[in-house]
Amino acid sequence: MRTFSIFKQTFRLPIVLWQSLFFIGPLCFTVAMSFFIVRNYRMQEDFVMKNWAKMLGRDYFWDSYFLTWGLAGIGTIVTMTVAFPAAYTLAFKVSETVRRWAIFMLIIPFFTSYLVRIFSWYVILAESGVINAGLSYLGLGPFVMLNTKFGTVVGYMTLTLPLVIILQTFALSNVDRSLVEAAFNLGCRPFRTIYRVILPMARTGLIIAAVFCFILSFGDFVSPYYLGGSKPPTLPILIVDTVKSGQQWPRAAVVAVVMMVTLFVVAFAGIMAAYRRRVG
Amino acid sequence: MVAPLVEFRSVVKRFDDFVAVEDVNFTIDAGEFVAIMGPSGCGKTTTLRMLAGLEAPSEGNILMDGRVMNDVPAHERDTPLVWQSLALFPFLTARENVEFGLQMRGVGAAECRRRALEWLDRMEISEFAERDIASLSGGQKQRVALARSLVIEPRILLLDEPLSALDANLVIRMQSVLTRLQRELGITFVYVTHSQSEAFAMADRVVIMSRGHISQIGSPKDIYRAPANRFVAEFVGRNNIIAGAVTKTAAKTVTIEGSLGSFTVQTGQHDAPRKGDVARFVVAADLAQISVKKPKSANVIPCSLISEEFIGSIVTLFLEAEDGSELKVQLQERELSKVDLKSATTTYLSWADEHGHYIGVD
Amino acid sequence: MTDNRTLRWFLFAYLALVFVFIFAPIFFSVVFSFNSDRFPTIPLGNFTLKWYQTVWNDPDVWEAARTSLTVSLSTATIATALGFATAYTDYRYSFRLKPIYLGLVLLPPTIPLIIMALAMLAWFAKLGISGQVMSIIIAHSVLTAPFAMAIIRLRLSQMDPSLEAAAWNLGANEWSAMRRVIVPFCRPAIISSFCLTAAVSFDEFAISWFVSGLNKTIPVIILEIVTGNIDPQVNAIGSFVFLVSMTLVIIAQVVLMTRRKKEN
Repeated sequence: MRTFSIFKQTFRLPIVLWQSLFFIGPLCFTVAMSFFIVRNYRMQEDFVMKNWAKMLGRDYFWDSYFLTWGLAGIGTIVTMTVAFPAAYTLAFKVSETVRRWAIFMLIIPFFTSYLVRIFSWYVILAESGVINAGLSYLGLGPFVMLNTKFGTVVGYMTLTLPLVIILQTFALSNVDRSLVEAAFNLGCRPFRTIYRVILPMARTGLIIAAVFCFILSFGDFVSPYYLGGSKPPTLPILIVDTVKSGQQWPRAAVVAVVMMVTLFVVAFAGIMAAYRRRVG
Repeated sequence: MVAPLVEFRSVVKRFDDFVAVEDVNFTIDAGEFVAIMGPSGCGKTTTLRMLAGLEAPSEGNILMDGRVMNDVPAHERDTPLVWQSLALFPFLTARENVEFGLQMRGVGAAECRRRALEWLDRMEISEFAERDIASLSGGQKQRVALARSLVIEPRILLLDEPLSALDANLVIRMQSVLTRLQRELGITFVYVTHSQSEAFAMADRVVIMSRGHISQIGSPKDIYRAPANRFVAEFVGRNNIIAGAVTKTAAKTVTIEGSLGSFTVQTGQHDAPRKGDVARFVVAADLAQISVKKPKSANVIPCSLISEEFIGSIVTLFLEAEDGSELKVQLQERELSKVDLKSATTTYLSWADEHGHYIGVD
Repeated sequence: MTDNRTLRWFLFAYLALVFVFIFAPIFFSVVFSFNSDRFPTIPLGNFTLKWYQTVWNDPDVWEAARTSLTVSLSTATIATALGFATAYTDYRYSFRLKPIYLGLVLLPPTIPLIIMALAMLAWFAKLGISGQVMSIIIAHSVLTAPFAMAIIRLRLSQMDPSLEAAAWNLGANEWSAMRRVIVPFCRPAIISSFCLTAAVSFDEFAISWFVSGLNKTIPVIILEIVTGNIDPQVNAIGSFVFLVSMTLVIIAQVVLMTRRKKEN
């Protein structure tokens, strides 16, 4: 009974058309655009390797590339580490009600302006800002926190920490509690239990959290720009500068494609690691 | 000749590689209360859903009033179903639930309301008409579900294990509500259940299914007294099933010899078995007799008493024969007092010749 | 056991500290919006409403607020409709290409916004619809439809699977069953999804900044002010944005929660 049903297609087709036209379309066009050429400030459709050669042949591109990797990597490690005790507490040490409220509280920041929060950090972290003013009463400081990698990581964490705590809490909540208690009963010390029992069991969820954290940090241009000083620029800043300061969209497209490929590889590696069969 | 209300003709239903219903043939007459019974996964619910048009048969035809229904969509059939989960609409009140089917048939608002309230009244729940479904008890929801199906005045009502979520007392109450309704309305009920007591208590006819096939169709008494095969005999329970090798065949009788002894039973409508085949017969627990003195009958099995179970005034005695097999005898409590079982070490289970019911070769 | 108790308190203190970190920027943003100093620090300056007055009297902000409102309401409508249709398809049908189908729907949030922004900018220019309010709405719908789909799909998974069939059984065709049963059942999720997608759209700045042209939204105004210099106006606008978003989020949450309570 494979008949065409208007009803069925009314619900199935719209998203296919919409996403093909406005999601797959733009992404494919970006890839194509990286081979276009700009003449007299006008982009012309073409198929040349010039943009690729120009971007990949320059040191500053590779500086940006590795800087972005480094910042996002450090950001991910720091965020995952900072989040873990919090997620552990939420998963194992509080009641169901508290956990639900905490997660609701952690969702709130997603719906507040990230820009405003970063601006707020800018004022808080400044040389004469709230933190340094507070520290001066203790006779410390002032510390330079803006335009440093520290500032960038604080910014990344503003974006990623709530999400990472939520994902880690879900991952840890799925760990069978009786196994954790069994480990304690067998005389396994707390830190050993975490390392030998909890981490392996929550691995899939934890890796997914890390992958999301990395993707968000890698693609963010606000933190490295406003809190990190953007010297040298990260890849997202490179895209912004390239687009906003001229008609060099094809070069921005090259950066975007490099970013997409990088993130695809990272996500793929993460998924492989997350679902790999445990050996031995 | 009047066509039966419902007819299944060689109906097959496959889900991918799984055959849920295989070559099912039966008819249902107008005004009958038919129960379809079987263990879970036997195809009984699929059969019911095909009748409602919620599944299409893979092969064969389903006819209503002699008309092939295969291509009639569910919403164009008047085959309301009372669901196992009840499937009441949680965002509507009791009255709005009952009105739903009428509204779909284009009945005007005032008339909808009048008929819905009439049915809620008939089901004795009119005071809950404006309540949310969530605030009703299990029994009240049940009645809303019945009203919602019956208000459209169907000629046939389908019920899919509607009482399975209720507690025992309520089940008995609802059984009498259902049988009374069916008699008053004179419409056909097709009732799917895995519960023998529900089926036997209410149905005129019972269809027993196993692994997609029909094992037996008959009145509750037929099925109870004369199970057609081993599956039905086991499923019905309360039967002693005795197996053995066929040692002698004669006209209409067969002699079966097993570890419990050698017995001769009538073959009835079954084909005559060959010598050496493993064949079985049953002795219903309530037709078997128990005594402490060895009776004269040819059908005697010596055994020892293991335990007794009282349900109301009926006692079931669990016995163990010498070869270790378990046998059951069911009798009234006052009959039990005539037999002094306590002092005896060996008791004798026996039965009259006509109560040995042959169920054939596997 | 004392060890365990110390550890417990240590963990609670740590959790509290994490929450302080997360909410500090939101908290200070609101505080600074009422603070007279151009460059706020502690001790705080005097209480003032002058930043709000500045914002109130700025016609650009009003224009941007109007655009933002149009964008977020339109986005919420489109994304919720798309999300509903997709969630229903996933709930009801199974088909061979379903993993690809779901991938197509759920993938956009995993692409960095800046890449989406560039891609949308170039694509809209190619199609000749760049720099319009419509461009922002389309881009935001792509971005938020997955959230709508997830919220409504979750609701559908709470539905008794026989509910829709019960409607057919009582004489409703597929369309009536959709209108009379599926949509009413999903109503709380539809409202939630509408509020949440509106909130996300209301806050989004990267794509808006790239594709908006002259039709600036509120976040784009914030971005431009921030890029210029330190101006506490941002805190005033930010607090306003926060208020709008929070109202939407809380409505969404309350609608979902009360419905669930009622059904239990």
